[in-house]
Amino acid sequence: MNVFKKTNIGKLLIIFLIIFALFIPFILGSNQYQVLLATTVLLYGVMATSWNIIGGLAGQLDFAAFAYLGLGAYTSGTLLIRFNLTPWIGMILGGVIAAGFALLIGIPLFRFRIKEVWYALTTSALVEILKVSFNMWEEVGGPVERCLPYFSGSLLHMRFTSYIPYYYMMFAMLIIALFLNQRIASSKLGYYLKALGEDESAAEVLGVDTQTTKLKALLCYSFLIGMTGGIYANMYGYIHPSFFNGQETTKIAILGIVGGRGITYGPLLAALLLVGAQEYLRASLGGEFSGLYLLIYAIILIIVVLFKPRGIATFVQDAYKKIITGEVKNKDVV
Amino acid sequence: MDVMIQSILNGMLMGCIYALIALGLSLIFGVMNVVNFAHGNFVMLSMYFTFWVGTLYKIDAVLSPLITFPLLFLFGILVYYGLISRTLREHYTIQIAVTVGLMTFLGAITQLIWQARPRALAYSFVQGTIQFGSYTIALSRLISAIISLIIIMVISFFLARTWPGRAIRATSDDSSAASLMGIDFQKTYALAFGLGSGLTAIAGGLLMTFQQVDPTMGLRFGLLSFCILALAGLGSIAGLVISGLIVGISESLAMSFWDPRARTLVIYLIFILVLWLRPRGLFGRK
Repeated sequence: MNVFKKTNIGKLLIIFLIIFALFIPFILGSNQYQVLLATTVLLYGVMATSWNIIGGLAGQLDFAAFAYLGLGAYTSGTLLIRFNLTPWIGMILGGVIAAGFALLIGIPLFRFRIKEVWYALTTSALVEILKVSFNMWEEVGGPVERCLPYFSGSLLHMRFTSYIPYYYMMFAMLIIALFLNQRIASSKLGYYLKALGEDESAAEVLGVDTQTTKLKALLCYSFLIGMTGGIYANMYGYIHPSFFNGQETTKIAILGIVGGRGITYGPLLAALLLVGAQEYLRASLGGEFSGLYLLIYAIILIIVVLFKPRGIATFVQDAYKKIITGEVKNKDVV
Repeated sequence: MDVMIQSILNGMLMGCIYALIALGLSLIFGVMNVVNFAHGNFVMLSMYFTFWVGTLYKIDAVLSPLITFPLLFLFGILVYYGLISRTLREHYTIQIAVTVGLMTFLGAITQLIWQARPRALAYSFVQGTIQFGSYTIALSRLISAIISLIIIMVISFFLARTWPGRAIRATSDDSSAASLMGIDFQKTYALAFGLGSGLTAIAGGLLMTFQQVDPTMGLRFGLLSFCILALAGLGSIAGLVISGLIVGISESLAMSFWDPRARTLVIYLIFILVLWLRPRGLFGRK
């Protein structure tokens, strides 16, 4: 019974899930549309997991996820269109630009102690500001969508005729985001973040440099999402100011809160359940009920906030604890 | 120069209505320190209600608040007891999340009921224009601005002179001291929330006399009223009106001299700059 030791159950489950996720494109392989939907689910998983660093651990309610995604997409897309620079590099530059923008916004925000509701409002304004700016900035953006070259596919330029490579790239991003989340959560930075997330002034009194700490979390979050933006632009094959999407950016925060703030796998769990259900319904019902999915998100958010404010991942935590304690009891009997 | 004065005039008229919208938000925020993210969607909802009342019962948009004000007031009280009061003691993320949920809910439900296409009412009986020399003013905008200012004065009288108004002010100054004086803070909060959402009914009715409504408007009105609130700070109704005028005028100037698409951009930039430079607002006392 060595296999069922306390710590092994979690590890086995993770390995099983990874293998399962790796095989999904083979199961769906014949249907490109379904692969795209699976990739979309992963995209929201990546974004919600990255959001967890700033929104969950640091407790800063951030609504700017799609601002960073759009910046990453525009950087990598524009570099490919204008300078024929491969998105493999453009993607990283996208992350750098997104993080740079976050730094530019974050330094004054945290210096002037803009927090709580004003932080949330500022970040939701950012998405709209960028959307309007890119609409007006004709050289790069403009209201007409710009298509990326190499329609017939080119590995060097990250353009593929199938969605399957994008699925694996998104999956790799997810693993990176989860790994980074776990590393931060169990590091000194993570404890600082959790402390200031609970009570900022108390953390400050205890000697936490809240400005720098929050800035670090913001940088990690925006860099991850900026890089994802590079994949996003190549996956859809165009760039457009509608990437700065006010509705979807709220969804990321909703996923993070519903999943469980500060729990590494919580936002991912919420993304798998909610976005998975949404994309499945979209595939079977068609696009005419676009308001309906949003309604479901809203109702689930309100129910979770009222009755399970720590998020649905606490169900998993409780179940896991129950299994472990059950095991312990069994051992006692034996 | 003519264009400039004309757009300043238009901006001032819009600014009065904006101030009315922001007054509702400011009442709620001032009293219970909760920012209602759904406030813009309340405005949108009352515009749709006005549209409904107008098309079903042929009631003019200016008079529709007689029906929509009680509706929105009741809605606000229900929202307070159902959602807000349950999360008052929670972490602020949860407090905000519940109003974000409400915002998303209202946005989605209006999209489902009324679809994405814009809706407008038939002409209100306040139609036509007035000429001031070479400047033209739409009568519906002028009347709306005047009604907004009157309502703002009524509210400030209510807050200053009546017992429930004083209870609201006392609770916003110090809720525990107020409750020691025998003020039921739950009822006061509910009253403030109901009043705050009821005011959007009046604003919605006035806006419908010259504007159409579509499901994306909520976010714009929301951020607009947050911007006014940030500019004005808390505690001064005159400051709120001036901030409303500033926002209205800058929006209007941006539309005529820069780019019609830039109208929201200017508001958001003012919002962020004010937060950076004067977090307490220009007229705040707290």
